[in-house]
Amino acid sequence: MKPFFLLTKKEVKDTFFSRTALFFLLLVSFLVGYGFLTAVKLYSEQSLAAVNNLLYARGFEPVPGLFGPVYGGLFVLFSLFLPFVIIPLISREKEHNTLALLTQLPFSFKEIFIAKIIAAFLFLLFVLVLTFPCVLLWRIYGGHLPINELSLLISGYLLYGMFVVAVSFFSAVLFNNTAAASIFSIFLITSSWIIDFGRDMNISPLLSLISAWSVTRLLKYFENGILSLSALADFILISSLFFLLAYIILRFDLKSKWRPISLTLILFIFGLLMVSHLSLNFDLTESQRNSFGPKITRALKKVRGLEIDVYLQGEDSRFKDYQNSFLKKLDLVRNDVRVRMMKGSELKKNYGLFVYRVQGKTEKTYSNSEEEIFPIIFQLAGIKVDYGNEEIEYPGYPLVVKGKLSGIKYIYYLLIPLVLIAVSVSKNYKFKFKRSGAK
Amino acid sequence: MLKVSNLTKRYFKTIALDRVSFEVAEGAITGIIGPNGAGKSTLLEIITGFQNPDEGEIYFNDRPLPAFKEKKEIFSYMPEDLAIYPDYYVGEFISFINDVTRYVNPELIELLNLNPVKNKKIRYLSKGYHQRLKLFFALSNTKKFIVLDEPFDGFDPVQLMEILEFIRSENQKGRTFILSIHQLYDAEKICNHYVLLDEGRVVTTGSIDTLQRRFGEDNSSLEQIFIRALQ
Repeated sequence: MKPFFLLTKKEVKDTFFSRTALFFLLLVSFLVGYGFLTAVKLYSEQSLAAVNNLLYARGFEPVPGLFGPVYGGLFVLFSLFLPFVIIPLISREKEHNTLALLTQLPFSFKEIFIAKIIAAFLFLLFVLVLTFPCVLLWRIYGGHLPINELSLLISGYLLYGMFVVAVSFFSAVLFNNTAAASIFSIFLITSSWIIDFGRDMNISPLLSLISAWSVTRLLKYFENGILSLSALADFILISSLFFLLAYIILRFDLKSKWRPISLTLILFIFGLLMVSHLSLNFDLTESQRNSFGPKITRALKKVRGLEIDVYLQGEDSRFKDYQNSFLKKLDLVRNDVRVRMMKGSELKKNYGLFVYRVQGKTEKTYSNSEEEIFPIIFQLAGIKVDYGNEEIEYPGYPLVVKGKLSGIKYIYYLLIPLVLIAVSVSKNYKFKFKRSGAK
Repeated sequence: MLKVSNLTKRYFKTIALDRVSFEVAEGAITGIIGPNGAGKSTLLEIITGFQNPDEGEIYFNDRPLPAFKEKKEIFSYMPEDLAIYPDYYVGEFISFINDVTRYVNPELIELLNLNPVKNKKIRYLSKGYHQRLKLFFALSNTKKFIVLDEPFDGFDPVQLMEILEFIRSENQKGRTFILSIHQLYDAEKICNHYVLLDEGRVVTTGSIDTLQRRFGEDNSSLEQIFIRALQ
């Protein structure tokens, strides 16, 4: 076997068979099981009224209604507990000085680092595989599976998990102590929650600017069924930054670390600027819930230089509605629209007003509904649109699951935990038995 | 021939090594001796590439060795604070090292008497056996220079005799040893060349005969020489 394969095998074993990994996987099993059980019950209860009502049924989508909450549990586990599994991959080597051992073997720093990343990636994949019985059970219950949207959701959590791994590696190389590294990594990970909160509360323009790269905001695209190339690229860039910084700091043989660190930071900023020009977004939801109708979309693509002044506070519920029902959909069609949040005396004087501007022409309205907004925009742009009936094709998939839920409990509360414990225990003693047997 | 030339290492205002220079002949067993905090471990880490000097150079056969990549081909280093994977079984660790290095030497395991503890987890080994396992790692290769930081810590007198014998036999096979030792009594039993360090500086170097001529009488022990030299 090649030395790199042996090293990767060792790292995989160290990651999967640590006690923290076992506790983490048990937690995943219980939380995913509980989340799925609760989601199925709620989905079923709400579906009772929708089964014979076509209009009501249209609102039943398995990803936001069922799988979203199940995978949402993983978000908390990844953010708060995954660092405890990942950090020892590096911090233990530092504490025991075994990095001195590994680097003297025929491995380069790059190979040692990549082997650790592969081990962490495989661990993440395994965590996600633990959620697959939910998908299988849902299919057995007769539930509908929107494959594209579900795959996107799972990919989003894989990317988020890799971000947590990258931050954990970075924290582990900075500190000589596992506990300090864990606290620091959780601080870095949860800082994007603080940034999001700051943006929602309109605390400072700087926070609003930074929030474009908040990983929780990037994850939202995947949760909402939008394949956004810029969100994907941002995720990869941010994770790569932490991985590269960790790699440079870990290398004790580098005489000066400032040059490679500076170069990495410059490349990162350049990458972010390049990515900000990417505007390819795809609505992967079957219901196309993130998009305007096809006629409106075609017409919006013809509008040039649209600017919107909003005379509302960021936390105002009217603005939230406007943001969710209009701005987010608009962003999918064109991301060059300039939206200004007005401030100061102007805001107080005109509170509640929306001002639309296209090529110097201006129109005002107090309405935030699409029926009012589109005629204004298209009139300003001089585009005629036939608003005719844009029939929604999506039928919705309500499902009432009765009396078959014990399978979830057996799988997630009993079978998976028992298998995890049994494999962990047997692996721990396997070598001993093998050697004793050979003697 | 290994040549250490003008090595200087500073940690902020503290000078850990101050223009350290000496030579190590191939086939010698060199003892780096000195009081605690003299800079012995720092010196070994710089020689083997685990730290970079602020000034100075290491030469092997008159060729400078600036990069860790080159140094790791020549030196095998056993750090004092190395704690081999505590959750591994001894046999498992031995297999890993053998598989990765493709250097299998059953005699080494026999000489280090590791067979009886193969089924033990490393965390449950006595300090002596842990030192043996560290020696196993340091010697499981064909590198020319074996650099050991405090290799005799944790051995009882019988174990120490076995290990000294083992190092002598490896030395006779052509390997050069550089040992950092704070127990002068142990150093005297094995080394044929000494570098005495104090406060980051080389006080003196040479064989026991040379040191006796310089600092004592014909039958002076290393300890007596050490005290006089430091005075």
